[in-house]
Amino acid sequence: MKKVYRRVLSMALAVAVSGLCGLGFTGRSVQANSVKLNIGIWDSNQEPGLRKIIDKYASEKGIDYEISIVDWNNYWTKMESAAAGGQLPDVFWMHSNESQRYMAAGLLLPMNQRIEEKGIDLSKYPGDILKLYEYEGEQYALPKDIDTIALAYNKKLFDEKGIAYPDETWDYAKFEEVANALTDKEKGIYGFFSAPSNNQAGYYNAIYSAGGFVCDRETKKSGFDDPKTVEAMDVFVRLAQTAMPSLAEMAETGDQNLMTSGHLAMCFHGSWVVPAFKDNEYARENLAYAVLPKWGDKRVSIFNGLGWSVFAKTEHPDEAFDLVAYLTGKEAQIEQAKLGVTMSAYEGTSDDWASSSEYFDLTPFLKMREDMEIRPYSKNTVRWENRSFELLQDAWSGERSTEEVCKQIAEEMNSILAEE
Amino acid sequence: MTHARSGLAGQQRRAQFLWGWALVLPTVAGLIILNIWPMIRTIFESFYKAGDFGLSQTFVGLKNYQMAFQDPRVLKSLRNALLYMLMEVPVSIFLALLLAVFLNSKIRGRSFYRTLFFLPMVTAPAVVAMIWNWLYNANYGLINHIIGHRIYWISDPKLALMSIAIVGVWSILGYNMVILLSGLQEIPKDFYEAADIDGAGFWRQLFQITIPLVSPTLFFVLVTRVIGALQVFDVIYMIMTRDNPALESVQSPIYLFYRFAFEEKQRGYGATVVVMLLVITILITIAQQLLQKRWVIYE
Repeated sequence: MKKVYRRVLSMALAVAVSGLCGLGFTGRSVQANSVKLNIGIWDSNQEPGLRKIIDKYASEKGIDYEISIVDWNNYWTKMESAAAGGQLPDVFWMHSNESQRYMAAGLLLPMNQRIEEKGIDLSKYPGDILKLYEYEGEQYALPKDIDTIALAYNKKLFDEKGIAYPDETWDYAKFEEVANALTDKEKGIYGFFSAPSNNQAGYYNAIYSAGGFVCDRETKKSGFDDPKTVEAMDVFVRLAQTAMPSLAEMAETGDQNLMTSGHLAMCFHGSWVVPAFKDNEYARENLAYAVLPKWGDKRVSIFNGLGWSVFAKTEHPDEAFDLVAYLTGKEAQIEQAKLGVTMSAYEGTSDDWASSSEYFDLTPFLKMREDMEIRPYSKNTVRWENRSFELLQDAWSGERSTEEVCKQIAEEMNSILAEE
Repeated sequence: MTHARSGLAGQQRRAQFLWGWALVLPTVAGLIILNIWPMIRTIFESFYKAGDFGLSQTFVGLKNYQMAFQDPRVLKSLRNALLYMLMEVPVSIFLALLLAVFLNSKIRGRSFYRTLFFLPMVTAPAVVAMIWNWLYNANYGLINHIIGHRIYWISDPKLALMSIAIVGVWSILGYNMVILLSGLQEIPKDFYEAADIDGAGFWRQLFQITIPLVSPTLFFVLVTRVIGALQVFDVIYMIMTRDNPALESVQSPIYLFYRFAFEEKQRGYGATVVVMLLVITILITIAQQLLQKRWVIYE
């Protein structure tokens, strides 16, 4: 009897304890005889194109490489542990949400001297993107691409209602009016879809067009309680109640599914999602793009650009940087746009991207570059973004007023920013 | 002669001792490295504010705990875990017991059914979650299609936790069943034969012979499953998306731990949440150990 008792107790303890263990991470072995670069990315849509570009380089230089893809949600948790264990990939994508922390922790290879030695002309890249990856005067990543937001719409649903397609004259008031007119909840047709967690390809664009702001890094202040921000947010909150699926419905069926099944008339798309629609027959026939609405005279697109960065402690810093220089150089950047991977960051290399798909006219995305605002960020972007997603649900569902929710976001965000 | 023999016995005993330790050493080492040390570290970290990438730690005393006790999300997550446990554990154990009794009798294709019910156990949680996700989908899901109603299984805050618990029951049923089967097989057949002669039916036999005699095994399953249920994570993580309005009424302490510690890099705060869960788990386990005297029968 005692034995059973003891066995139960020890098993119980073991199970209790196992819950406290961190997640395990596997190390990887590096072949010493030839140079093999590990490359970390998060978007599988871009992999085939990137492979083509890197293959060419790898065979020229006689190096070996391996691309590992971890989806966006898990990429940063994986990188975090890899960083703590000194096992980051040699070359990997960097994002403004995280770059400040990585640079401050000295995890990225400083590039200033190498940039100079290679004679790379930084003026060819958008200054705001360079700045995302600059820390105390040192550059830690080179711009991989640039992305903008445009308005995606379903031509068929517009035709059915006899409503003219979106064009450059639209402002947010007109947009709201049409979104409501297109909605037919009985039939399960919605005018618009924008989830509380979709900021970059959602309400951020309206906020900056209206003259509001989200995060001021200088004064460490949140702009969520700025009256103009609230006014812009209110357009989305109103639409959430009149033209969008309910939060539950959004959780059940995502915007891409609704779009490709003919249940969604309009949606904001980031330029990076276009590849996801290229192989969809319904989308090929019915999906089209227009520029975003304007607010007064201002038509702002949030933009961002990933960076190619190198692990500070890579075994092959020269080869790794050389690869980054190639990938961000003019030739590869043109190739990247041509293959339709993404728009490119290097000046004048993106035009081919507009015609990279035979089914969609992508020029609206290029036009949106005329007035851009960099995606708001600070050192702990994820922390306040996550919190804002959580709180905005109350506004979307109509439980609390936009103003009240925005005010709370601002307060909590200010205290997170104050800690940075 | 006697002297030599005892020397031999002593040697043998020593060899046995060494062998014994050599054989358990890998497990003990594994426990220490993978379980016990991280546990101590976690408790330690709950009093600190972790710097980026674990590079620096600032002692903050009880500040994390203060924060946690004022954070409705944390308190609600503890409530969620308890509710989940109350739904998953009794149902999964009761069904598993019935299945075990059934599959312990001589029926055709017994091993086939045993394998069948154990299958969810060896299926990757990601696959399980994906399949259930589609079954539950309000618009295209098989369940709603069959019952002909549009029920928001995983996005209605009132239903979501139950839906998750159903997946939990389904996943763990086979495991509970196999453990209980092993307990059932130790019950002498004579008891049932005698009961048959005395005219006791199925339910009477179940409650008066099977359950009392299998109670030590039942107790083991109960204790381990309560602990397991309080640590529910993967099904929630895989099924509930960030914008799901029901997330708040489903997210468990381990889910929040993952979010705080890994996504938002607040390792100290994340650790605090798990330590709170650990305390609750220990209290419940101790209570069970004390209460077992009332119902567990050791031969």
